Amino acid sequence: MLYRIKHITHYEYDKPVTLCYNHAHLMPRDTDYQHCLESHISIAPYPVSVHQSSDYFGNKISFFSVENKHSSLEIVVDSMVRLNGERIDPGIDLDFGNTCTQAREKMHSLQDETTLLAREFVLNSPMVKTSDALKDYAAPSFRSNVSLLSAARDLTRRIYTDFTYDPESTTVATPLYQVLEQRRGVCQDFAHLAIGCLRAQGFPARYVSGYLETLPPPGQKKQVGSDASHAWFSVYSPGEGWFEFDPTNDNVPAEQHITTAWGRDYSDVTPLSGVIFEGGDSQVLSVSVDVQRLQE
Amino acid sequence: MKDILLQTAWSPPRQLSQSQHQVQSTRDADFAYEQSPDFIDEVYDTSGEQRSHWQYLLSSMASLGGDAVADRQRKALRILRDDGATYNLSAQPQARRTWGLDPVPLLIDSEEWSGIESGLIERSELLDLVLKDIYGPRDLIRHGVLPPELVFSHAGFLRQCQGIKMSSGQQLILHSVDMVRNVRGQMCVVADRTQAPSGAGYALENRTVMSRVLPSLFRDSHVHRLSMFFQTLRLKLAALCPNNDDIPHVVVLTPGAYSETYFEHALLANYLGYPLVQGSDLTVRGGFVWMKSLDGLKRVDVILRRVDDYYCDAVELRSDSQLGVPGLLNVVRSGRAVVANPLGSGVLENPALLKYLPAIGKFFLGREPQMDSVGSYWCGEDNDRQYVFDHFDDLIIKPVFRRSDEHSIFGAQLNSEEKTALMARINAKPMSFVAQDYIQPSNAPCWSKDGLIARPLVLRSFAVANPSAYTVMPGGLTRVGSKGNKIITSSQPQSTSKDTWVLASEPEKQTSLHRDAGAVISESADQGMHLPSRVAENLFWMGRYAERAEASLRLLRTVFMQLNSVEPLSPIARNTLLNTVTRVSTTYPGFTRTDINNAEAIEKELLEVILDENRAGSVVSNLQAMLTSSEEVKEMLSGDTQRVLNDLRDALADLGNALRLGLASAPEEALDPLVTTLLALAGLNHESMMRGMGWRFLEMGRTLEKSYQMTSLLQSSLVVELDESDQAMVLESVLLSFEMLVSYRRRYRSRVEVKSGLQLLMVDQTNPRSLQFQLAALKEHLQGLPQVDRAIGLPPEGRCTLEALTVVQLADLTQLVACEEGTYLRAQLEQLLNRVQELLETTATLISDKYFDHQTAHQQLVTDRWEDD
Repeated sequence: MLYRIKHITHYEYDKPVTLCYNHAHLMPRDTDYQHCLESHISIAPYPVSVHQSSDYFGNKISFFSVENKHSSLEIVVDSMVRLNGERIDPGIDLDFGNTCTQAREKMHSLQDETTLLAREFVLNSPMVKTSDALKDYAAPSFRSNVSLLSAARDLTRRIYTDFTYDPESTTVATPLYQVLEQRRGVCQDFAHLAIGCLRAQGFPARYVSGYLETLPPPGQKKQVGSDASHAWFSVYSPGEGWFEFDPTNDNVPAEQHITTAWGRDYSDVTPLSGVIFEGGDSQVLSVSVDVQRLQE
Repeated sequence: MKDILLQTAWSPPRQLSQSQHQVQSTRDADFAYEQSPDFIDEVYDTSGEQRSHWQYLLSSMASLGGDAVADRQRKALRILRDDGATYNLSAQPQARRTWGLDPVPLLIDSEEWSGIESGLIERSELLDLVLKDIYGPRDLIRHGVLPPELVFSHAGFLRQCQGIKMSSGQQLILHSVDMVRNVRGQMCVVADRTQAPSGAGYALENRTVMSRVLPSLFRDSHVHRLSMFFQTLRLKLAALCPNNDDIPHVVVLTPGAYSETYFEHALLANYLGYPLVQGSDLTVRGGFVWMKSLDGLKRVDVILRRVDDYYCDAVELRSDSQLGVPGLLNVVRSGRAVVANPLGSGVLENPALLKYLPAIGKFFLGREPQMDSVGSYWCGEDNDRQYVFDHFDDLIIKPVFRRSDEHSIFGAQLNSEEKTALMARINAKPMSFVAQDYIQPSNAPCWSKDGLIARPLVLRSFAVANPSAYTVMPGGLTRVGSKGNKIITSSQPQSTSKDTWVLASEPEKQTSLHRDAGAVISESADQGMHLPSRVAENLFWMGRYAERAEASLRLLRTVFMQLNSVEPLSPIARNTLLNTVTRVSTTYPGFTRTDINNAEAIEKELLEVILDENRAGSVVSNLQAMLTSSEEVKEMLSGDTQRVLNDLRDALADLGNALRLGLASAPEEALDPLVTTLLALAGLNHESMMRGMGWRFLEMGRTLEKSYQMTSLLQSSLVVELDESDQAMVLESVLLSFEMLVSYRRRYRSRVEVKSGLQLLMVDQTNPRSLQFQLAALKEHLQGLPQVDRAIGLPPEGRCTLEALTVVQLADLTQLVACEEGTYLRAQLEQLLNRVQELLETTATLISDKYFDHQTAHQQLVTDRWEDD
């Protein structure tokens, strides 16, 4: 499957900004099942320097600064990504592999590099801290003899069922306990919630950011810019690898989920962050994403 | 930044009498140093014999005698105070504590030292390998040498620093270790400092003072010198320069004057010859780091940082930090600037690493390191945690990540409730705690009022990377605990330090030390030209505040005298004078209020104008602002100046008492010491400051303020015409406040009158206090400033000053003293003075806009802040 993704981020400042330094996680990374054929970032006003690098988690990161007075900032990223179809069969029966008990035990006993390094993702991270409340919420899914993957799938379904998707209910700064209390949120909150549940149960889990191809209602033409950036999570089963789940849509990411970056939580893969000097007291942000499936 | 905290613990002497000596009638007994049987002692060997390397020192001190040693110690403390050697306990200027120094050094013989030295070199090399691995391949984790959580859960592990490497060999440039002598008599490491190790500067200061107060003892003891260490540091920093087209520009980055170890930052910057900068003095532009200097941006290649890594870059690290340089990390990542120690090196300060060093040594070097570390238990491991719970009484419990609000806990000091509470804290976050075996440190003799007494000690030593390995400072900083304190920190008022003498078997050759001195001098001479604009700004304000305080003090002194004079003031003259006080000090509404009319209310208001530090314009607030500015430019001020500033601090501390006592009689005398000190300060600035840009800004601040004060004084005393005797009284007071009444009488041989008063105060070119004299001086200073383009003629601030000067020069005094028809207002004089004030205000604004930095604080593009864990 070949996709072209256009992601436009636009800031409008009411007072001019004199200087800004930014970094962006906007270019899709390569993964075992995904290859980014090309990706181009363009910034207006023209930045002093753009520096591409690879971050701690192997994501692509772009650094740039604008050192002239500007009242708006626009970042356009245009990427071509091929998914090779070897990801997973979304309809697969997940009742295989480690049981929850085995997985917990192997997290301690296995000394292979992948498992040792995956232990990083059991720990608290800036935006996901485990708690008894999370552990309790997760408990019904993680019964000892159930396979870890079935349990994670069950958790995904329960979040989908128990929580209401509501863009008005949270912001990027809403803490996890509040999401759990109010049972509302967006994809980022649901991913964090699932990660918190898994970590509270002793399993490594990471945050995946990317895009989801949306299909128009039957008979209608797809609107440009109607897609959105998306987020889901991935869980590690020792000796078996990482497996992804999407609690916002109650499914297993396969052909329509394009990965941009992963990390411990949103803070590791913030699409765009940085600091600005002067001005910018009130800023208007608009984001437009277009995921287009190309004919091959 | 919280640093010199030497977190080891001591137990109190088990019997109080052990370290106390019988009071004897002769001072010789002072030197009868005895060992406490339960302690290892630096002076005595296991069989109780005095070690030979101590004999010379102890016998020399004994022959000096107790009074002489006490005298040398007082001298030492005086020098430390004059040098401004402080360890700041808080942001309060009053809380600065002068650095404590014991006159008895710690002695280490060269044989033992060479063992310690090679152990430390090996340890630095090992930690360097760990640092490279943690931010590189992480083989220590992949191969199971380190538990993953030990690194991944540590707040000092900065994922943003992954893969960043300086091109040259070592990544760890400076390393310090805290050591105590264990029961086997061997030095054993209790802590490593790898972030921004502090203490080397204090060690240097200790050495400087000791060599001054005990010169012959020092000389005859053949002590290894410290200069090689600093020389190596200087060469290493120059070699780190990533931009190889010209001379490397190195700066010392400090969090600012309120940092605990600011004295050391200033000392090192001066000693090494680098500018001392704060984060806001630097900026990232076009992919490089620049210093905002008076003549524009100057590229910075190497930053010796004393700011903790986490605070160094708000773009990628702690987003609310204003101490760092936004964008710095990415410049470092692209290899266009080097930070030493590198950002992220705080991860090595995790005390839990000590437990794994033998395994790490085997992994990297094929052997365990020579130098022992204290037995350590990481609560992130179940077995260790259980051990800790079972052995609280023998352990010191520390957080894995140092924070200012978390301290080491000595398990034996806890009652059972506290133990339960601590266990709960550990169980909630086991990975955040580590425990260390309590090692009872060795004792060494210290000077006290009872003679030599035994005190426990910790030695901090320092290593710096050289081209092939590490150079260790011979000796280091010895911290001494006070009796009965189990855990010693620098914030204890009683704790003190010692110089550490590593004794050479023969006098050390000094030739090698200055081998590269030539190169270093040319480098620092070049850097001297680039003054950070923050420093210029603080000098400018230091000058202004000093003059403001002096003008108010002089006037107040006169007012007190006149109020209590034998000839009582008429109400009009009195009110005019009091209004002048308000006007000159700008403490409105003050005496412009009409309800201050009895002696008591007047006295109260006058006292407030002097003492109320919360009232803008008061003498105390001006002096405190002046002292604050002086702290910011500490590295620019001479030793004599430091001494005068200390006197000023003392006079200020004493002012309240002195005034209240003196109110009944001659309150003006209480103000004299302050005036004298301010004069001494001005004199010193004039006599001993290099005529560089710094001096110009200080003098500009002074002349600008003096001109302004003169116009205020003239406005409120002379613009309204009074009847002859009142007018004379007011003018006399003004002249008196400048101590010019005598010169006036000598010159004019008449009763004071307005026209000749104006002549003297406004236009007399021979009077250094006259408005014209000061304006001319200001004009000179402005001409001496760097100009972008001289071809376009006079810059705006130059025009303003020239106009002010010209207005004064062209003034017709006869017209100025004349009143408007039918009024009591000298309208022309008022107009002239107003114009001059306007022009001075504009000049000040223009100088500030042009030369000082006005960047406002930055903010987050996306406000996604969350709490740190």
